[in-house]
Amino acid sequence: MRRELTPTQPRSRPVRVLLNVIAVVVFVASAFPVYWMINSAFLPNSAIREQTPHFFPDQFTVDNFVKVVTQPSGTIEFLPALGTSLLVTLSTVVLAAVFAFFAALALSRFRFRSKKTLIVGLLVAQMIPAEAMIVSIFRVLDGWQLLNSIVGLTLVYLAVVLPFTIWTLRGFVAGIPVELEEAAMVDGCSRFGAFFRVTLPLLWPGLTATGVFAFIQAWNEFLFALVIMQKPEVRTLPVWLRAFVQATQATDWAAIMAGSTLIAVPVIVFFLLVQGRMVGGMAAGAVKG
Amino acid sequence: MSQTARVRRRRDLTPLFLLIPAGVVLLALTAWPLIQLVVTSFLEFGRAQIFGAPPVFVGLDNYADVLTDAEFWQVLGRSVAFCLVNVLLTMLLGIAIGVLMTKLGGGFKLLVSVGLLLAWAMPPVTASVVWGWIFDTDRGVVNYLLTQITGADFSGHSWLIDPLSFFFVATIIVTWQAIPFVAFTVFAGLTQVPNEVLEAAEIDGATGWQRFRLIVLPYLRGVLVILLILQIIWDMRVFSQIYALQTVGGIAAETNTIGVYIFKVSIGAGDLGAGGAISVLLVILMLALSGYYIRSLLKQEES
Amino acid sequence: MRKLALAAAVAASAIVLAGCSTPSGGDGEPAEIRVWLVGADTPQDARDYLIETFEEENPGSTLVIEEQQWTGLVDTLTTALSSSDSPDIVEVGNTQAPAFTSVGAFRDLSGIYEDLGGDDLLPGFVEAGSYEGTLYAAPYYSGARVVFYNTAQYAQAGVEVPATLDEYVANAGTIAEALPGVSGVYWPGQDWYNALPFIWENGGEVAVFDGGEWDAQFSSPESLAGLEQVAEVAASSTAPKDGDETDVWVPFREQQGATLSAPSWAYWSIIADADQAPTALTDTLGYYALPGKDGGAAQVFAGGSNIAISAKSAHPELAESALKIIFSDEYQGILAANGLVPAKTSLGGDVAAATPELAAIIADAAANAKLTPASPKWADVEAARLLQDFFVKIATGGDIEELATQLDLDIEDILNG
Repeated sequence: MRRELTPTQPRSRPVRVLLNVIAVVVFVASAFPVYWMINSAFLPNSAIREQTPHFFPDQFTVDNFVKVVTQPSGTIEFLPALGTSLLVTLSTVVLAAVFAFFAALALSRFRFRSKKTLIVGLLVAQMIPAEAMIVSIFRVLDGWQLLNSIVGLTLVYLAVVLPFTIWTLRGFVAGIPVELEEAAMVDGCSRFGAFFRVTLPLLWPGLTATGVFAFIQAWNEFLFALVIMQKPEVRTLPVWLRAFVQATQATDWAAIMAGSTLIAVPVIVFFLLVQGRMVGGMAAGAVKG
Repeated sequence: MSQTARVRRRRDLTPLFLLIPAGVVLLALTAWPLIQLVVTSFLEFGRAQIFGAPPVFVGLDNYADVLTDAEFWQVLGRSVAFCLVNVLLTMLLGIAIGVLMTKLGGGFKLLVSVGLLLAWAMPPVTASVVWGWIFDTDRGVVNYLLTQITGADFSGHSWLIDPLSFFFVATIIVTWQAIPFVAFTVFAGLTQVPNEVLEAAEIDGATGWQRFRLIVLPYLRGVLVILLILQIIWDMRVFSQIYALQTVGGIAAETNTIGVYIFKVSIGAGDLGAGGAISVLLVILMLALSGYYIRSLLKQEES
Repeated sequence: MRKLALAAAVAASAIVLAGCSTPSGGDGEPAEIRVWLVGADTPQDARDYLIETFEEENPGSTLVIEEQQWTGLVDTLTTALSSSDSPDIVEVGNTQAPAFTSVGAFRDLSGIYEDLGGDDLLPGFVEAGSYEGTLYAAPYYSGARVVFYNTAQYAQAGVEVPATLDEYVANAGTIAEALPGVSGVYWPGQDWYNALPFIWENGGEVAVFDGGEWDAQFSSPESLAGLEQVAEVAASSTAPKDGDETDVWVPFREQQGATLSAPSWAYWSIIADADQAPTALTDTLGYYALPGKDGGAAQVFAGGSNIAISAKSAHPELAESALKIIFSDEYQGILAANGLVPAKTSLGGDVAAATPELAAIIADAAANAKLTPASPKWADVEAARLLQDFFVKIATGGDIEELATQLDLDIEDILNG
């Protein structure tokens, strides 16, 4: 279905040079903060506090990382926080993909009365400020005895990402010709067999795109994690980082940058891994909306 | 779609079953809290009520209080302005970079992709902290470079203390992170424009701009509408970046956006009634802002 | 596909396991109690002593200390204390305590008042922790602020230890002029704790309760005179105008400022850096109590904490037993030995600090300490960061009278609202 576009290369040389220069500018502007974070993370704090910044890690050290990983910030330790963040994020990504796949099937392969309401509802759900609902969500979880638990936080993140993932996946499912499923059913597949054997494999790009979204949300979320996970052993990384920033307030930027690097690296790695698929997925979803 | 739907029986319960998992989560953790939010906005609900005192029904008092509070209007105006500037910048730069990527050769295209991915992958709290460090008053690299380049003394210059300057930094953080999503999506959309049509247009003598406006844009329309709605929603609700930046510096009362303000009213001051009223007003405002687009989306849905 | 399935299985099993971890058990049975301490103020020795003693006295039970941050503490407490998974014992800022004592968030401590020390407890803090005559949050400790100075820089700039507040202010300007790039007084703009004494010494108040209503006093002529002095001191500072007082000793020990007013225990962080290496100040550190308008020690802000048992604590008896340990002479003695002013006035003389002179200065400062208005709504003034914002604007050279008038309106709005 998808076809790579051969770029319409500008013919004149000066134009091409200009575009390449712009490309470099875009790269530098996008990547500099990341570079600066990593650079600062590998410098001793004494070098960081000098008047003249060090543009390269010329006094290379990994002490900041050792410090960040071994010294708790307050009573929050890095490794348990990493574990909690990983578990919550993976659970959210996997469950969101499954739940959204089902819901997207319902919303694009079937016709029922309240469908339109549901679709608008999914959009409205994204407009509600989470900050305002935090107390009521907190109380729902409290009632279920799910405070300070990975299940509780995962459920909240599912509620946060599902409207967007369902909405997006619905577009992807709609883009897959229903005739394929019908052909499979003629060949003896059940209804669900057709969904899983025919539709699901074709849906990979869409699942990747929405999975990335769920991953970013769950990995980065700060406010719910702060309020719902109050025991030090179940804190997540963003909360750990903020406690660290507060505890040292602008005096230990080197360690803070090392902590920031450790939080950002898994996302960057994940992104680089799924990069090709993700852009492809967006392409497929893009035009169909 | 309509053709296939006719085949199905009218009373098919399959969609219901398919909706159950997502439905249960959304009912319990979105719909129910939303109902509570609306109910609370009609109650006097403060810290005492959180700890068990019975709430009192006060009708529209919370709304009246909020709407007559000068601070609310300041915060709202600030948020709308911030949202507009950021959405505009994000869309324009995002589209420009998306188009740029289709014009680049392999190596440079990869370079831009990697840069964008790096910015996109950065967690917002981390991003605010890193940018806070770049703009640090004492040892920030921006102050150093400005001092070197302009010759004026920028050491000790605080970027966050003046609200306008604070939002300048916030805008950099927010757009820096939002552009990649727009750029990638636009680029992906552009790769779907059939080459034959473009070539045919070129043979017919259409200029580059004409081709973009008459062929590419209509193709992208659907994508752009969705991107626009999402950006409006996200930028209007911006929370993490502002909240994190406020812990780095600046004057909190003059830099609150509506998301941060709702949090401070609801949790900080413990006034859930007023917080609920502000939230309801915000949702209505966002529906109004994006109403036109929602309608056009629904029309697409019908056709 | 297979990888995803594996990940799903791992995630799912983790969820199941995590779901089992809710401990339960009625009172009297061994259990785990959770104690929230805020910031790094409570010394490690005290923490260790509390855990050991508690676990000795209550065999089978455990005590866990969970450290919280001062920023956003009211937010966190509001949600945590109302939940069924509430911490058992919480520390709360003395000025924040009324927000919780007035709404039933804490357990009545009247029954163990005598065990905790009775009339020996710091009176101002008992008042802050009481509501309608009942004690809900007992005093935990008080911190006194001491003025540290760089003796070498004072000598270089040719100034002496000031005898009055006016001299203190004048010195700040003299030093800043004599030593370019060095703060006369290192003064991050948000620091309202250090600003209040200027108001009090000039005869002003924060707010007074008059005729059933709070009347904020920042714009009174006396307060304005104090605020003028604050602006003068702030102008001598090279610290970030919007910075806060966390870790101020780092720039101070790097000789960026000649004077620093900070909690007494900052002493240790000034004479040694994070790696325990000596600093520029190790041999040139002096200290004095902030001088008053007419000499003697100034009235300073009595920062400090109260400590309470959550009304929702699942194990109130164990919590009470832990609280009694916290109020034992041994525990309070450890606090005193680390330069904090203990909750029991009878132990005030034990504030050992680093040197006897420092101890005397702490005692002087503590004797003249003052508190913020005793209103349940005062915590909301703090949560709204009105004072931080106000003093940042003063530090940036805003119009003092205009700002003070507006601040008074905002404070009255909250206190009387």
